[in-house]
Amino acid sequence: MGIITGAFLRAILDLGLTRENTVVVSGIGCSSRAAGYLNLNTVHTIHGRALPVATGIKMARPDFTVIVLTGDGDGAAIGGNHLIHSCRRNIDLTCILFNNQIYGMTGGQFSPTMDPGGNATTAPYGQLEPSFDLCRLAEAAGATFVARGTAAGVRQIEKIIKQGVQHPGFAFIEAVVPCPTEYGRRNKPAKAVDMLEEERKRSISVSKAAKLSPEELEGKIVTGVLFQDVERREFQSTYAETVARVKDAELARRLAEGAGE
Amino acid sequence: MESWHGHLLKERVDQSSLLIQGNRACVLGALDAGVRFYAGYPITPSSEIMEAMAVELPRIGGVFVQMEDEIASICACIGASLTGEVAMTATSGPGFSLMQEALGYAIMVQAPLVVVDVMRSGPSTGRPTAPSQADVMQARWGTHGDHPAIVLAASNVADMYRLTMAAVRFALRFRTPVTLLADQVVGQMRESFSEELLGRYRLTSGDFDFTPGYLHPDLAREVHLPHVLGSGEYPHVTGLFHDETGFPTNDPEKTDKFLRELYNKVAHHRDELCLYDVKNEGRGRVCIVAYGSCARSARAAWRLADQEGLSVEVLHLYTLFPLPVEIVQKVARRVEFMIIPELNLGQYAHEVRKMAEQWTTVIGIGKTDGTLITPREILDRIAELVGKYESV
Repeated sequence: MGIITGAFLRAILDLGLTRENTVVVSGIGCSSRAAGYLNLNTVHTIHGRALPVATGIKMARPDFTVIVLTGDGDGAAIGGNHLIHSCRRNIDLTCILFNNQIYGMTGGQFSPTMDPGGNATTAPYGQLEPSFDLCRLAEAAGATFVARGTAAGVRQIEKIIKQGVQHPGFAFIEAVVPCPTEYGRRNKPAKAVDMLEEERKRSISVSKAAKLSPEELEGKIVTGVLFQDVERREFQSTYAETVARVKDAELARRLAEGAGE
Repeated sequence: MESWHGHLLKERVDQSSLLIQGNRACVLGALDAGVRFYAGYPITPSSEIMEAMAVELPRIGGVFVQMEDEIASICACIGASLTGEVAMTATSGPGFSLMQEALGYAIMVQAPLVVVDVMRSGPSTGRPTAPSQADVMQARWGTHGDHPAIVLAASNVADMYRLTMAAVRFALRFRTPVTLLADQVVGQMRESFSEELLGRYRLTSGDFDFTPGYLHPDLAREVHLPHVLGSGEYPHVTGLFHDETGFPTNDPEKTDKFLRELYNKVAHHRDELCLYDVKNEGRGRVCIVAYGSCARSARAAWRLADQEGLSVEVLHLYTLFPLPVEIVQKVARRVEFMIIPELNLGQYAHEVRKMAEQWTTVIGIGKTDGTLITPREILDRIAELVGKYESV
């Protein structure tokens, strides 16, 4: 998590974002505590609700760069509804979702992204449910920038975050991160370094993945920008255009009324 | 009158009076009070508020967003509020239930906002098109933890206008969410509402301070507030217990101090927050204590009683919480009975009993069949109690 937070900070520093106009919004969970470690405008909200709070901030202050830090539990379980609707709305937010497949803060229960067969305190006989592919979910729901990176590929995710923040629309970035404390102790590999090494081995870039069959891609983590669409209309700016149009019509109506008197 | 009024008040019948729906009057009050952000999710019988906001806010450069549910709605309002916007949402019982956790967050981070709950029969889906006053306790204690609550109750269309304004003022002044309770009858009925009345109720700009992060000097001494986003300071806003830096703390002393300050900023300003109206003051053995649509029946019962030779006092409460302890106890000292008609099984009667039973007999008239309590029903109960009256 610290690796991704570091990459995030380097990315926004490189982009030259001002502290005044940058707001980081998070929910509840290990990932969401990151907001408390940053000397920016930071809003630590309630479980699952970072995206709607961020939506309110962005709509009220379109000049702000609003970045959401969330996790697989916060963003894909309790906050799953807000995730798909934020994607659909295509509002100009950047959502970085730390996916470690486990609920760490509550002591190791499975999350909706845990691979089948994985062990957790609430899956003592192995995870029975299939897992979410959040990038496919985000793309299907209408996100216009969808990317995945890992803690093992720190330079790559730094670049992805920069692209995501610059993207005019909803940017969804899945950061695959290890949780040795709660995931590692019940699964293999167990140690942090081994988990990172495993992530590195399983990672494959989008371009290389394109050449492989679905069978060959089994168990791989496809990284890079998976989808981008810069044509689709972004919500906040569409709203602003509508306000301008409605106000013009209103002015015209009042002028016409005035002329008639 | 400003341009947008013409649109909202198109049901105008003549120069001096307007026929307007309660929910629309609420929107008028909100816009007059400076609300420029609305996020909501439709639910009967509150949807007209949202629909009018959808039309009006873009016309004046405000923000209207239809969110995916009530949780997202109140969260978006909180987000806007943290940037210094005056934000509002409206809902009914089931939606209000969904908002409760976020309402607690707004209290904790001291984000001013207004939530209008146009109550319907419950629990659960209940009867969406029938009035009820059964969210009184939800409005007071719906979110978890010890917390302050400011709850107002509207009894007619004019109230929907002026109490929405009062709700905005209280929210900004005390930096906390304010709940305005209405019910299906008050929200959806149409009543004549004179422009003169509208003018009288319009609060002057001096009553408001829209400076983001504004806190009245009286309160500034009591509570620490987070900075407004974009103010040039770099606040950390959190629902965890926090100290004056805004960062979380587990220090028992600091935690306790923070909670008590949060609570007392409302409790210590009851004088200002408790709005009420006393009719026939000190002239009866019985006082009807009423709020919301039942206050209309109470007022009618008072007039009816007068015709029939019985003097009845009416205490009409516009503020339910913080508890109007002073006025209730003052009246309790001089009457034999306090009658509380309400469209629930005695939620507020219980509160009145706590305040007044030392001095008077408190009797609730609870009705939950989805119809209003009639003046005659109130009067019959009084007749029974006073033993002076023949039931008609």
